[in-house]
Amino acid sequence: MGFRLSGQNHSRVFLGLILLAILLPWLPLGASTNYILRILTTAVLYMILALGLNIVPGFTGLLDLGYVGFYGIGAYTSGLLAIHFDLSLWLILPLAALNGALWGILLGAPTLRLTGDYFAIVTFGFSELVVLFIRNELWLTRGPMGLPGISPPSIFGHPLTRDWEFFYLIVLLLLVVLVVVTRLQDSRIGRAWFAIRENEIAAQCCGVNLIRYKVTAFAISASIGAMGGAFYAKWFKFIHPDMFKFWESILILCLIVFGGMGSIAGTMLGALILIPLSEVLRAVLPQGLFSARYLIYGLVLVLMMRWRPEGLIPFERAQARKARVAKERLKI
Amino acid sequence: MENLLDYSSLFLQQLVNGITLGGVYALIAVGYTMVYGVIQLINFAHGEIYMLGAFLAYTLVAILGVPFFAAFVLTILICACFGIILDFIAYRPLRKAPRLAALITAIGMSIFLQNLALMIWGSQIKSYPREALPDIFFKTAWNVGDVTLSWLQVFILSITVLSMVILHVTIRRTRIGTAMRAVSQDKTTAALMGIGVNRVISFTFAIGSAMGGMAGILVGLYYNAIFPTMGYIAGIKAFAAAVLGGIGSVPGAMLGGGVLGIAEVIGAGYISSEYRDGISYAVMIAVILFKPSGLIGRQVREKA
Repeated sequence: MGFRLSGQNHSRVFLGLILLAILLPWLPLGASTNYILRILTTAVLYMILALGLNIVPGFTGLLDLGYVGFYGIGAYTSGLLAIHFDLSLWLILPLAALNGALWGILLGAPTLRLTGDYFAIVTFGFSELVVLFIRNELWLTRGPMGLPGISPPSIFGHPLTRDWEFFYLIVLLLLVVLVVVTRLQDSRIGRAWFAIRENEIAAQCCGVNLIRYKVTAFAISASIGAMGGAFYAKWFKFIHPDMFKFWESILILCLIVFGGMGSIAGTMLGALILIPLSEVLRAVLPQGLFSARYLIYGLVLVLMMRWRPEGLIPFERAQARKARVAKERLKI
Repeated sequence: MENLLDYSSLFLQQLVNGITLGGVYALIAVGYTMVYGVIQLINFAHGEIYMLGAFLAYTLVAILGVPFFAAFVLTILICACFGIILDFIAYRPLRKAPRLAALITAIGMSIFLQNLALMIWGSQIKSYPREALPDIFFKTAWNVGDVTLSWLQVFILSITVLSMVILHVTIRRTRIGTAMRAVSQDKTTAALMGIGVNRVISFTFAIGSAMGGMAGILVGLYYNAIFPTMGYIAGIKAFAAAVLGGIGSVPGAMLGGGVLGIAEVIGAGYISSEYRDGISYAVMIAVILFKPSGLIGRQVREKA
């Protein structure tokens, strides 16, 4: 099946990418450095979001169509805390994550008892209600006027303003999320999630508490989404209800379907390919056609499900991975 | 006393508007519910067929100059064919795949079609040229006190009721209807009894899409606004109606559509017009949480 990176290569490729990320701002790219950095910051932000979403459809096998709701909750939590209380980013990130998790539990606890289809619809309804709330409760969110004037984050009293500073910050955040997600994947919780994904009834018979593990997955996913939103608000310094529409959920879903549902490397690859693609389209297509760019994402979803449902880098269980790597070593 | 009369006539007017709107929701909801009944798939692209119905009729009437009623019939036929094609290219290959795959494909098709319409027709709101429509639509049919019912509303309501009756008779009384019910109960057994399951599924898509397209034309007429994202909101509301009535149940979809239409209009009039769309979502979430089988639906299986 196409190309497959072995476990060993995985970590080498990964270390190479990290090195590249650290060096990137200093490469002689001329005037376009900042532009490239901004695109890559967006791509890494979407990697984080995709890693968060991946926990629900990828690991646990439930379709979540309302992920952007948590992204929006995180962004507004961050924006409001920054404006009214002038908190530092290092307080805002965990608070936003906590708020996301809270809503994840509030929504997940009653709805995760439902079958998958109904769950998908309820999450969708939830994210639409979040946007309606943000748009209409002017006293809190200023509604369609948006929330301007969010202060930039600062480290040891030094406010971040330059593009490379934000790039480093988001890469750091990605590393943290990556550690959490990888550790979860190979943990007892992760195994319970995979069991639920493969066969709910069998998992229950083996003693997996379905509701508890599903709510855990949903809450962790929500808190990662909210954290992404919190960063986004502090980075962009302006947020608006239209930024958190249903499309965003679809876009993020598309990233993980394209890269490989359930696969961490695949999820990140999906974001790394498809997010800059959007920028390329912006440059290539005329304005009218560019607004229809989501057509491509719709097509990606349909075509991937038809011909390569496992995505670019298929998901692999830890044990299977170890066995295959051992086998490959023997060959050499 | 005068005031009270004003108040009650306003309420009646809202009720009339709500029933009209609810009828249209019911037309779309039937498409969701039938497809769900037969292949247990939420066909997210159904709202897009409704949108295509509105745009096709617009193109036929406003650009090609086809007479309105001819365009009406033609659009419905095209939409029916389109439903069959959609099932054939998108869903049939995934019949044996996990349900998540088909669901994601349905969302993908919905996004694809919506943006295709955006590319073809642009984002500007279109409306049917008034001179191309029958004059009678804009005359008042019935007028009691301050409550008015236009001929357009009469047209919408009678088309809705007529197609519901035809649908109901088809499902209950004809051979193909019996086959549909059999397939929705148990595909394998139905196939063993000599029913062409794929043919029945195609038929279901055709009927559902025809009614969805018809709803698109009617709403386009009613609000005089046609735009690429119209299917997305209406689709979700119609799905809410289907859930409210009990998914898989055709009379349930009709009932759900009516209740939702009235709830929305009354809610927008008396509670908050900003949360107009929120009312449908809230109703939908509440029904799913507390009574997933809907008002008159059959029991939902825990895991299919």
